[in-house]
Amino acid sequence: MMNIDMRTRKSPMQKLDGRTKLIALSVIFVLVLLFSHPAYILALLGVVMVIWWSAKLPLQTIKDLFKYFLVIAVIILVVQIFFYPGQTELIRLSNPVPAIGFSGFITLEGILFGVAMVLRLVVIMIVAPLMVLTTPLPELMLALVKLKIPYRFAFIMTTALSLLPSIQSHAAIIQQAQLCRGITYDTAGKFFTKLRASVALLVPLILGSFRDSQTLEIAMSSRAFGAPVKRTFLLDSQFSKIDYLILAVTIAILVTGIVLRILGFGVY
Amino acid sequence: MDDHPPAIHCQQLDFVYPNGVQALSSVNLVIEPGEYIAFVGQNGSGKTSLVKHFNGLLKPTRGSVRIFGEDSSDKKVSYLSRKVGYVFQNPDDMLFCTSVQEEIAYGPRLLGMDHTEINQKVEHILLELGLDEHRETHPFALSLGDRQRLAVACALSLDPDVFVFDEPTTGQDYFGGKSIMNLIDQLHAKDKTIVIITHDMPLVAEHAHRVVVMSGGQIAMDGSPAQVFSQPEKLHQLSLRSPQVTQLAYEMGFTEQAILGVPEMVEWLSRSYLSADTTNPGSQP
Amino acid sequence: MSALVEFNNVTYTYARSTKPAIEDISFSIEPGEFVALIGPSGAGKSTLCYCFNGSIPQLFNGSMSGNLNIAGCDPFEDDIPVLAQHVGLVVQNARTQLFNVTVIQEVGFGCENLGLPRPVILERVKQALDFVGLSGLEEREPTALSGGQQQRLAIACVLAMDPEILVLDEPTSELDPIGAEQVMDVIARMNQELGKTILLVTHDMEFVTKYASRVMLLNDRRLIMDGTPQEIFSKVELLAQSRIRPPQVCEVAEGLRQLGYRLDPLPVTLDDMVQSLKVLRHG
Repeated sequence: MMNIDMRTRKSPMQKLDGRTKLIALSVIFVLVLLFSHPAYILALLGVVMVIWWSAKLPLQTIKDLFKYFLVIAVIILVVQIFFYPGQTELIRLSNPVPAIGFSGFITLEGILFGVAMVLRLVVIMIVAPLMVLTTPLPELMLALVKLKIPYRFAFIMTTALSLLPSIQSHAAIIQQAQLCRGITYDTAGKFFTKLRASVALLVPLILGSFRDSQTLEIAMSSRAFGAPVKRTFLLDSQFSKIDYLILAVTIAILVTGIVLRILGFGVY
Repeated sequence: MDDHPPAIHCQQLDFVYPNGVQALSSVNLVIEPGEYIAFVGQNGSGKTSLVKHFNGLLKPTRGSVRIFGEDSSDKKVSYLSRKVGYVFQNPDDMLFCTSVQEEIAYGPRLLGMDHTEINQKVEHILLELGLDEHRETHPFALSLGDRQRLAVACALSLDPDVFVFDEPTTGQDYFGGKSIMNLIDQLHAKDKTIVIITHDMPLVAEHAHRVVVMSGGQIAMDGSPAQVFSQPEKLHQLSLRSPQVTQLAYEMGFTEQAILGVPEMVEWLSRSYLSADTTNPGSQP
Repeated sequence: MSALVEFNNVTYTYARSTKPAIEDISFSIEPGEFVALIGPSGAGKSTLCYCFNGSIPQLFNGSMSGNLNIAGCDPFEDDIPVLAQHVGLVVQNARTQLFNVTVIQEVGFGCENLGLPRPVILERVKQALDFVGLSGLEEREPTALSGGQQQRLAIACVLAMDPEILVLDEPTSELDPIGAEQVMDVIARMNQELGKTILLVTHDMEFVTKYASRVMLLNDRRLIMDGTPQEIFSKVELLAQSRIRPPQVCEVAEGLRQLGYRLDPLPVTLDDMVQSLKVLRHG
């Protein structure tokens, strides 16, 4: 029989069952929303970074993500610092300006809340790629299906992800074709030229994807997609001891987290 | 600088893609203004990588490409596209405006031409390419053949001297292919330099004046269609084939010179091969 | 016994279209035939292909009339997954019909959907990949394959479901010469070695004469000719009206006929022509 085990076993993360990863990462997700104290969220961030490191994923990916995130983070921070209705007054800037909801001073609560918001987003931003980058799409789909997500939904989700590279390469071709029309993509400063150029890119890309999606539908049904029988999965995955261990630890952490939260810890 | 530089001049051109794949190695090529040249070869042989150097879409890794004497390495595509027009295989990738005339006016507008000049140019091109009845039509509502004409119109609007066509007949029926080839012949008749990439050997035999066969990132053969197609063994090694009529002539023993068209073949057969006094096939032209 | 495929007065009109895409089409195909479907762009060839596995009428909101029998199934009644076990449809443009992450997943997809047992699927995937010459590439990404390999993969995907009929819509139109030859070789072997019935849509008339035993010519929505390649390519005027250029050897034969030479039956392939000319010369 031929080898159908397509997982390249590089890191402990990749050895895990998709379900384990989905559950563990969802728990992190829940915890990060449960607590609002920056120290707690920072601890969670630490855990996530350890996972990232153990998954042997390049730190560069995180750096790249941050390039896009930095502006948003600053905006969130500023908004929270200035407008969060806190009590512990730190610096008085001016008289209150009720019209825009500004109390006139910066509070400790405002800073903490802003920092917590940003940290939360950072954790969420790292957790999602962690899942996708360590789990081949067929395994992700299998995990979703085994977790009782309807197959059709799981298929659409993973297929959309798998089509991204081909959309990217089509975009590159369109960009080249349009360069030949005299468009310059690097016209510094000319906002409307840039805008025009991105519209020019999107129109054929979307129309092309639309046409492709019709072909895709025919091709999929030609291969019995949606047949009213119980589907077989070529790929299979069983829980190993490590999976059980990690699930146990995850659940323990979740329970502890909930208890702490009920006792009033970790909130501000 | 040379007073009459070649349209395209590649010297010791190497190109390596960022992923490390070497697409071209030591290509030397001169294309003079007014030539009608076809590039053939299997996919991955380097045809597309080579012609993408002709308007700066790709820049040499080593060696040089000069376009009418100008080194391409520090020129933008937007600048070079006024000298070399490039028509992609799929016209849809090139079109993005809301009407045919808008589409044609787009390039000249970017060049900063004035309003009257643009209008004149658009009118002229609409008429020349037979698109005037569709001037208000949305490009995507046109037939494939007309969308392809529009893609040519867009290249034409920048007034280039060289036109590159990447597989202009692929995916089209005989009539569609013939119609676009007629258009290309017309451009050539107006002293434009024509470069086509194709897999269609009868098309090469019937239209091009020069054929370059690419293989493994290098030029494997370069000559007139008659010269190239008279070497069936060499073509076979490159997994290419002469047009069927050329193969037929060869099979019948006429090997002195490649027969490229059906009429010549019929003439040779009736005059020589099938006429009663012929005893030694192949010896009489 | 009735034919494997029967179309009786089939007309189909796409939604929001005033004219039918195919009109009053009637023909039948016997098991094991290799039929080439030719015609200019827009004649209705792809529409006809979609009728074979129920994609039309089931995936489009058009209107359809007439009677169809596809391997005992009725595309009006039976679901596409049922028809898919009898008809393998390979649509134009290989790239868009490949959507899995690995070759093995891609080929297994159809059988997985049919709920076949895992060992059966693995055996079928292995055989299909062997047959199209892609063994050893199981773990590769379909998008990383060459155009010709992608097209053979698309064939393997439907072949694994073991249909009696294969419908292939312009499988070679975007390929280079080597890729096209390899794809045609696979199609021919499916017909000869596996006894599959083939309907091939193509613009390449040299492939038509080399491989098909029967040619159907579709023009302007209607089936206007149905016969052997020799019969079809003898009708020079009708072909010109349908904007079809016959293979060059047929044009040479026609040129000779006009000069009074007798070439019967019409040579349609290079080898036929060489033989006919030798006979003509030596009497």
